[in-house]
Amino acid sequence: MSGAARIPGYLGVGLVWLYRVTLGALFPTTCKYHPSCSEYAVQALRKHGLVRGGLMAGWRLLRCNPWSHGGFDPVR
Amino acid sequence: MIHLALILASPLTPLEHAMRHVLDWFHTTIGLSWAWSIVATTVAARMLLVPLTVKQIHSMQNLQRFAPQMKEIQKKYKSDKQKQNEELMKFYRENNINPAASCLPMLLQFPIFIALYYTLRGFANEPASKHPGSLSWLHFVPSIADHTTSFWGGYILLVIYVASQMASTLFMSATADKMQRRLFMVMPLIFVFVIARFPAGLVLYWMTTNLWTVGQGLITRRLIPKTPVPELPKRSSRAAPKEQPEEPAAPAAEPERQPKQPAPPRKVRRKKRAGRR
Repeated sequence: MSGAARIPGYLGVGLVWLYRVTLGALFPTTCKYHPSCSEYAVQALRKHGLVRGGLMAGWRLLRCNPWSHGGFDPVR
Repeated sequence: MIHLALILASPLTPLEHAMRHVLDWFHTTIGLSWAWSIVATTVAARMLLVPLTVKQIHSMQNLQRFAPQMKEIQKKYKSDKQKQNEELMKFYRENNINPAASCLPMLLQFPIFIALYYTLRGFANEPASKHPGSLSWLHFVPSIADHTTSFWGGYILLVIYVASQMASTLFMSATADKMQRRLFMVMPLIFVFVIARFPAGLVLYWMTTNLWTVGQGLITRRLIPKTPVPELPKRSSRAAPKEQPEEPAAPAAEPERQPKQPAPPRKVRRKKRAGRR
């Protein structure tokens, strides 16, 4: 993706940063995945844009539950 | 400006309404004061999350058994953090370890927190007749809707918050990397300045949820023994000569540990229990 098509994705990245400096900092946690959920969201949004990247990030958050195994899980 | 605020607030209003209903129920039906209603709501929410957190604590203790091997990996890839993380994650997967922390249970607490924030802000802005009853708590908090530092009792709340936050960090991230753990311990000291500007009721929520975490940690630690240690001497004394030659084939440096066999059945049992609740 290039040019104007990237802008919505960057908005999403901005939201993730907003989360990191506010709620993410107030409720510290360690993620069971690598990269962590928020880092994964940033990478997915940059690579696949707002809609697909956002869905990928949401699916990752759902996978990040106590019954999953975690592990190395990069954005593809 | 007002329109913008309305647009931003609209997806949050159902949350606020739900929180208001729950608090109202505790206040009107059960007869608790508003402050105690917040405590009760927090406790109720944490009770609903028990299956999730118990699972987390279990897996954290499970993780502690593998601490020596994990330390070795950390030492091996000391210079390359990225590689170190990847190797650790691989190690988790190979040994069927489920790292304790995960994002979802924490995310489930956000809505409660945000709803409570808006509800308390509503309390501060609306006329007192809309929420009949006292907003004070235990004689030293005059109003849970006021900023925490606007009265001397708020400082007591903040001290309890910092202490309880540190204690709960100790319990919940025992296996996290050392740097990160130190950071989490310092965090409340920095955030106390942000939190000081929140309504006192929010600090009350935080205190309650932290103290619950600590209590839960203490109880689960006492109830569940850390490792299946009693099984090890039994087996080694009976089958020592047979097992000795097999040992070199297993991953080196861990001659005494064979936790793989006792571990899976424990896990299955836990899953069932969590599912039933």
